[in-house]
Amino acid sequence: MGKIVALLAVTVLFIPLAALAGSDAVKPVPPITQTSALWLGPVKLGVLPAPPIPPDNPQTARKILLGKQLYFDTRLSRDNTISCATCHSPAMGWSDKGPTSKGIDGQMGGRRAPPASNSAYNPLQFWDGRSPSLEDQAKGPIQNPIEMGNTHQVMIRTVSDIPEYVEEFREVFGTSPITVDQVAQAIAAFERTIVTTDSPFDRFAKGDETALTCIEKKGLEIFNGKGRCSCCHWGPNFSDGRFHNLGTHMNMGKPDNGRYDITKDPKDMRAFKTPTMRDVGLRPPYLHMGNEKTVEDVIVFYNKGGGFKDPNMDPMMIPLGLSKGEIRALVAFLEHAMTSLNPEVADVKPIPASELPK
Amino acid sequence: MKKIFTLLLVLVALPLVIPAPGQAIPAFARKYGFNCMMCHTAYPKLNDWGQRYRDNGYQLPGQTGKEKTMFDSHTPIALRTSVGFNGYNASPLTTGSFDLMGLDLLAAGVMHKNVSVLLIYTPRIDEPSADAAGAEPLQLGALESANIAFSNIIRNALNVRVGRFEPAYHLFSSKRSFYLNAPYEIYEYRPNGTFAFGDNQTGIEATGHFRMGFKYALGIVNGTGATAENDKSKDVYLALSQTIGPGDGQSAGQRVGAFAYYGNQPYAIPVWNATADTIMRLAWSDRSKPLYRYGASGSFNWKTLNLTAMYMRGLDDKAGNFLEKSAKDCEFQGAFVELDYGGLWNNRLIASVLYNWVEPPSYGAKMIPDGYSVPGMINAYSTLVRYYLGDWNAVNVALHAEYTYRTHEHKSNKELALFKESYYSMLVDFGF
Repeated sequence: MGKIVALLAVTVLFIPLAALAGSDAVKPVPPITQTSALWLGPVKLGVLPAPPIPPDNPQTARKILLGKQLYFDTRLSRDNTISCATCHSPAMGWSDKGPTSKGIDGQMGGRRAPPASNSAYNPLQFWDGRSPSLEDQAKGPIQNPIEMGNTHQVMIRTVSDIPEYVEEFREVFGTSPITVDQVAQAIAAFERTIVTTDSPFDRFAKGDETALTCIEKKGLEIFNGKGRCSCCHWGPNFSDGRFHNLGTHMNMGKPDNGRYDITKDPKDMRAFKTPTMRDVGLRPPYLHMGNEKTVEDVIVFYNKGGGFKDPNMDPMMIPLGLSKGEIRALVAFLEHAMTSLNPEVADVKPIPASELPK
Repeated sequence: MKKIFTLLLVLVALPLVIPAPGQAIPAFARKYGFNCMMCHTAYPKLNDWGQRYRDNGYQLPGQTGKEKTMFDSHTPIALRTSVGFNGYNASPLTTGSFDLMGLDLLAAGVMHKNVSVLLIYTPRIDEPSADAAGAEPLQLGALESANIAFSNIIRNALNVRVGRFEPAYHLFSSKRSFYLNAPYEIYEYRPNGTFAFGDNQTGIEATGHFRMGFKYALGIVNGTGATAENDKSKDVYLALSQTIGPGDGQSAGQRVGAFAYYGNQPYAIPVWNATADTIMRLAWSDRSKPLYRYGASGSFNWKTLNLTAMYMRGLDDKAGNFLEKSAKDCEFQGAFVELDYGGLWNNRLIASVLYNWVEPPSYGAKMIPDGYSVPGMINAYSTLVRYYLGDWNAVNVALHAEYTYRTHEHKSNKELALFKESYYSMLVDFGF
């Protein structure tokens, strides 16, 4: 009896202790919006639900069209050469040919453009998660000196000088003059339509056993098992939306601090957001700096336990022990079974300048 | 005198015919939608990721606090059982029966950030088999594990587990071994029929794991074979390990470790029939005497090959020595070496070979009275093949074939008898 009492006493003593030890100090992390419905996880791989729509920016057909025009319009940049689509190109799986992205005046960024497709499901935007929403994200590149190199004031003046844009903004938002927030809302509305829902995996997940080949099924099993891909690439969007240090930076003179620069939390040092695996075969090279040329290269990278020994490397980075055959199966799954067939997304062509509002 | 021989034989052989309860917790896989091989080389053996998950209090490594608790997710209950044919041969005796070879009910999960629980109950199974009569239950009802763990009290450096648990000095878990018959002889060897190294313990354990690959475990426990009535003191242990290279030494990296256990245990002592000069029965001594266990281990990985080895020495106080004229402590030693291979895709095929060796306390012929017999050297050679069925969601059914050839000596002051036996199993192993 005494032992039971002692055991209970120890248990009771430790519960508040553990709770105290586990409580994190409040950190300046961007708030998680309602787009973070999948935040607590992991959850099972599956088909994508409809993207979350913020109540203050409802989708309308006119707004989506306006956003699409703005997305492809190079006039948002300082010298009329860079649009959103320059780096987030539909022809490149809504990313860039890389390895990192080229901005205004031929300047090279330090990271490659993350895919715009399915970004509606990201709890936080950018590789370092510094934006809590697509609306907030859309404003960033316009005034980034090595991306579009503009200012919001100049961009608004430019757009406001285009009569057809003025008319369209008035129709969509019912107010004038045009604001930066309206531009961002329109672009975000368009980006929420870039949702890839019809990959062979999706058909398989819906019950079509023939949607995947034998080797792709093996690849899926490895993805969700021995390959441990889904411990970060989980859920319908194949991404946890969280931040991980893969050990890619320790060989650099001045490492990119990644998420740490936003949160100042040492645990986030050199950590970057998990990208979606949907359509991954369409957008080589890979990782946030484009270090790995092919999907197979990335898998080999993970198979050996990640990159350079980094004291802050994610504890989930462990050698996988995949054989060459298993790697081939995983490549087959990622390059083919994850590639969307949605015509409304896959066939999006840039709007020619001659067809943009004048 | 034959009673002594029989008693000793039963004590040594009993663990071998009682299947080792296995641990694999499909409730976790269901919670996350992961395939079993995420955490297991192939269930029930943990890989490095699974080991880190376990070390982190059933929370994803590096993701503490970002997952659902057991109250928000699926009912965290799982079941594991094996059904099939078991054969035994010790010439001229040959038997075989279709058995339910153990049943585990498991419940585990995170109650709150950094607070997790594990409960494993093995219900009593009275019917030993469908086609063989027998009086003994196949499995005794037991609460194998019931513990609460407080993780990351001081980051990774201090985690505390309280209750009944599998101690971390088991650098190789017999409960998560591919082998269904108790695989590691030295874990089960108990010269005086009391303390079993392989058993779960009740107490409190502190563990820590560090990025440099170092781990420690320090515990205070009741000790096995003791009861609340006769146990007068606690046992303590310390286990240290170091992994070289990335990984935890389970499926990647190279790990070496050492452990030491000091206990004070009551002993099973013979109650003599003075008239007939025979032992009537065993009884618990009310005296506690010291015992020691210490050893070293290694786990080495290359691709999907995992070579594990462990050596252990033990010393039990002479108070428990059955040979009343003996003045020697019971010193013994043993080891095992196991080589596991994972093949096909997602490690659907597992093949393994295992060698066990135990050298019991050495008694010179003069120490053994006339008519007495004591156990001698044990050698056992085992092999198995498992093939897993399933799909991308789960591979939680395994076709299992296992064979063991075992010899053990019996020494008297006149001769050395060698007893040979073999047993095999062809089963289906379910985890749901």
